[in-house]
Amino acid sequence: MKLSIAHDTSYRYQDQVRASIQYLRLTPQQSQRQHVYSWELELPRPARAQRDPYGNVLHVLTLDEPHDEIVIRARGQVEIDEACECEAETASPLPFLRSSPLTQADDALIDFARRQCGTRRERDALAELMHALADHMTYTPGATQVESTAAQAFAGGAGVCQDHSHAFVACARSLGIPARYVSGYLLADDSDHLASHAWAEAWIDGQWYSFDVSNRLVRPDRHLKLAVGLDYLDACPVRGMRRGGGSESMHARVQVMPMQMMGQQ
Amino acid sequence: MDRVFYDEMHDAHGACRPHYQAFSAWLSDTPSDVLAQRRREADLLFHRAGITFTLYGDEQGTERLIPFDTIPRSIPMSEWRTVERGCIQRVQALNLFLADLYHEQRILKAGVIPPEQVLANEGYQPAMQGLNLHRDTYAHIAGVDLVRDGDGTYYVLEDNLRTPSGVSYMLEDRKMMMRLFPELFAAQRIAPINHYPNLLLETLKHSSPLDNPCVVVMTPGRFNSAFFEHAFLSREMGVELVEGADLFVRDEHVYMRTTAGARQVDVIYRRLDDAFLDPLAFNPDSALGVPGLLSAYRAGNLVLANAIGTGVADDKSIYPFVPDMIRFYLDEEPILANVPTWQCRKPDELSHVLAHLPELVVKETQGSGGYGMLVGPAASAAEIEAFRARLKANPGAYIAQPTLSLSTCPTFVENGIAPRHIDLRPFVLSGRETRLVPGGLTRVALREGSLVVNSSQGGGTKDTWIVEDC
Repeated sequence: MKLSIAHDTSYRYQDQVRASIQYLRLTPQQSQRQHVYSWELELPRPARAQRDPYGNVLHVLTLDEPHDEIVIRARGQVEIDEACECEAETASPLPFLRSSPLTQADDALIDFARRQCGTRRERDALAELMHALADHMTYTPGATQVESTAAQAFAGGAGVCQDHSHAFVACARSLGIPARYVSGYLLADDSDHLASHAWAEAWIDGQWYSFDVSNRLVRPDRHLKLAVGLDYLDACPVRGMRRGGGSESMHARVQVMPMQMMGQQ
Repeated sequence: MDRVFYDEMHDAHGACRPHYQAFSAWLSDTPSDVLAQRRREADLLFHRAGITFTLYGDEQGTERLIPFDTIPRSIPMSEWRTVERGCIQRVQALNLFLADLYHEQRILKAGVIPPEQVLANEGYQPAMQGLNLHRDTYAHIAGVDLVRDGDGTYYVLEDNLRTPSGVSYMLEDRKMMMRLFPELFAAQRIAPINHYPNLLLETLKHSSPLDNPCVVVMTPGRFNSAFFEHAFLSREMGVELVEGADLFVRDEHVYMRTTAGARQVDVIYRRLDDAFLDPLAFNPDSALGVPGLLSAYRAGNLVLANAIGTGVADDKSIYPFVPDMIRFYLDEEPILANVPTWQCRKPDELSHVLAHLPELVVKETQGSGGYGMLVGPAASAAEIEAFRARLKANPGAYIAQPTLSLSTCPTFVENGIAPRHIDLRPFVLSGRETRLVPGGLTRVALREGSLVVNSSQGGGTKDTWIVEDC
């Protein structure tokens, strides 16, 4: 599936921002699953790409002139190999056995994972875990905050894709399976809408397999990966700080179309 | 069974050891009221200088004077030479380990250390993987904690490779002794240590590829327990003392706000933990760090002393492997021995530990400061049972060691002079070369029989003398 993507994010501030800095993980990487034909970020100031601790492409945008708006445009063409269900990687998966404050498994999550999987550690067992988590945690926007932990969301029985992914990696790690948080884009069923999304990956038999709890998917055929990490904070597309500015409003616009149409326009 | 302690001043027959004879004679010649007067003077001076320590776990956040004892801990030069070589060897191996771990991982591939022990360790920082550091130095400043067993053998109790503190007490204790008792320093050759700040500054400058880098000391702020030391070292080195809010990042470089505008910073001697360095990369709630710092560091535009991710090498679960690191990287036998250690993550070692709790010292692998430990012989039956439950619930988080008969040194106590247990923390600097000033910080457990010397647990300090052999 070849896609052409345009993703604009704009932040508008009530007052002038004196200075701001953003860590941007908005650039997909070449892999077995996804081929990147081209990708460009248009930023208010040029920023050099570097690698972050988990190998993601990171742009650091520093603005020290007063501003009341930041517009970030991402444009690119990619192809997703729908047949590719898993990915190998040379880096050791062991760092993904650790928990983080957002993904620390409490007794409830540990018990839940044990009850679901017992001594099983194969892909099917984790798929069942995925369905059980989706049953237990109803997809409910507004039920959690961005800083909610896996344990809190699980206890509340509701959440969004971020919470689902946190709960899944917390359970998997408690079973001794390396697991990581993935942020990226999800293409809607009708193939003309793309949304920012999060899912999880687990290391099984030497490969990373995807588990999208919110959509109950074990095949990442409509998923474009941007970044991975221990949790949301490591992998989220935009993480920033600013001085001044008052309240903030964010608008995102994503356009996606099959790539062959691009040539006809 | 009575334990045998090695006394630093007296041999088993009560005779004064040769290297202490000059001091001992002076002590018996000096009237006790004069000594008492000088001790009061010392307390007053320390208080005035603001040399205090904030106690963690104390709700009032009380600042307390760290008690200073005027009887020095003395080590003959020949003995010190061995300790010095041992510390250098150990820190070199630890730096080689960190460089290897964050690059090829030869030691893991060779099966010397199980990979999951290291890579799944909280102290391991993926941010360091593949990053090249100038001179491959990770721990520019290391503190090696040493104790002596009943027969006087030195053992390494732990390595401190993150932000070891205490060197200001080492320096202030010496200043105080020279001020109170100048006659002692005239009568005997005691190796000087006052050049430590110069060596530290040189080490920090050599940590950067630049000719004349801008060096700063970064503190979490005045509420930190070691703030006095941060201010002290920046003053002694003549460099700026900064907090996170004084620094900012622009285009992968770090700048300091000054009255004359922004100034680029090249080397940060940081005295705050990894997790607080950059709120955009680590703990998002950290108000102490600098947003963007990690991007500057990973771009190679900044030196952090110590580097990020050194904690994986001084973790107590990695400690048992240090002698193997020395053999692996240096092809040498360790000069200083490790304390025998049971790793509770191993079921057979755990069952041994559970069966011998009243005799053992049990420590958290991630703990520091003596807060989360059990000293079996000093614990009540209830304390032991409570600890047993914690140990069983999470064995991987603990190691155990035999209770060492820490050496003693005569110390002023309420009723005159009595032996108290001590340890020693030399500070090892790794720049163009690996070196240390003679001696270190001697900590003393002031409570009778106590083996815990941490200042947070009622420990005091002594001046440490390296003296010519007699």
